[in-house]
Amino acid sequence: MASNTVLPSKATDIETALHDCASGDKLALKRIYDAEAARMIGVAQRLLKRRALAEEAVQDAFVLIWRHAARFDPERGGGLTWIYAILRNRSLSILRDEKRTETSETPVAEETASEEDDPETVMSKLSDAKALRACLETLPPQRRGIVLLAFVQGLTHGEIAGRLKMPIGTVKSWIRRSLITLKECLG
Amino acid sequence: MSPSSTSVLGPEERIALAGEYVLGLLEGADLTAFDQRLETDPDLAAAVERWRVHFAAIDATAKPIGPPAELWSRIEIELAKVAQQAAPASSSSAAPVSSPIQASRSTPATASHLSDWWNSLFVWRSAALAGALATIVLAAGLLGALDRARRQPVMVAVLLTEASVAAAVVNTFADGRVEMVPLQAIHVPEGKALEIWTLWDRAVGPRSVGLIERARSTHLRLDQLPLGKDQLFEITLEPATGSPTGRPTGPVIAKGTTAQAL
Repeated sequence: MASNTVLPSKATDIETALHDCASGDKLALKRIYDAEAARMIGVAQRLLKRRALAEEAVQDAFVLIWRHAARFDPERGGGLTWIYAILRNRSLSILRDEKRTETSETPVAEETASEEDDPETVMSKLSDAKALRACLETLPPQRRGIVLLAFVQGLTHGEIAGRLKMPIGTVKSWIRRSLITLKECLG
Repeated sequence: MSPSSTSVLGPEERIALAGEYVLGLLEGADLTAFDQRLETDPDLAAAVERWRVHFAAIDATAKPIGPPAELWSRIEIELAKVAQQAAPASSSSAAPVSSPIQASRSTPATASHLSDWWNSLFVWRSAALAGALATIVLAAGLLGALDRARRQPVMVAVLLTEASVAAAVVNTFADGRVEMVPLQAIHVPEGKALEIWTLWDRAVGPRSVGLIERARSTHLRLDQLPLGKDQLFEITLEPATGSPTGRPTGPVIAKGTTAQAL
């Protein structure tokens, strides 16, 4: 699978491209686009469910990457995580914006997620090589599922509570405990 | 209850909070407080980065979806607008209506068709609004109460934070003035500003009506925009020069909808 054979140069390529973006090189942004846009649409699609919204999120993300490239600081983190953080923030804003603006349409969060986005399916696709997979496996399935639902589908505490018919306080404390357990395992 | 408002975080608190942030579970005032904290707390920023690196493995499982051919050209159009905004506004269109910024959200093939529709709707709405305002002003004049009408808001929106605290009010007046008055201090980090938005139609999306560097009373620029009951106003935290995308990008500080004043 492509994600298992990431070239070691990929991360530095992105960081070099961000550096070039900061000095106004549009071709550098296009390099990032060619390398990541398809995966980015996939990530946004899991959060937003609708293709048009996912594309809008990716479009906005590239404008933001371009605008803020000068602020990217390799000392503080990797280029890829920076780009995906921008995409996730933008997607979540669209998701929450959509939710608070009541329309006659079905709110995005209530649209059916693809089965591929089920927590256990996502688990099965996680690379064996990643510490995260082994550590998630130490959590009871339901707790692991809650963490994955939040990250993959962008559900809020309240939405997770509603979906699993659990009190919101329980959801909150389960997530906190799960994060602390995960962190102990991840080191 | 809100751990982000305390000044010192325990190690577990820090890990859990950073993890919740990366999961996208912090909202409203908690999110704003966390964002502020991130700027001054390198340890917290490092904890966030570590979570991002770990969770990146999950994003790597997303199925790649080939972008449509025109997505890159849409991005290029937006980049060109960013460049234009940076330069002093060159008013290429003399029309009283701002250009259809939403066009970029549809495909190029349908953009001009949509913008025609949009323009006519806009014109129609503006005309209706102007008519409504004229009626109000005339009625007030006939009653000899124009002066009172000028001082008393026609509609009021109370903007609430996520925690349902009233953070600001928006008053609209019969003469078309719209003002926002903050009711509490709002912390604005260095390099950031508060942007005020209004939304009257989902199909159009939110429009920026003001940008202030700190919480203070300000007039909102709704010149050509519709204004009615149940219209959403909200304040978001944006870069000092305003949202780079023309839509809200930062956390929502407060929001509320207009209601008729008695």
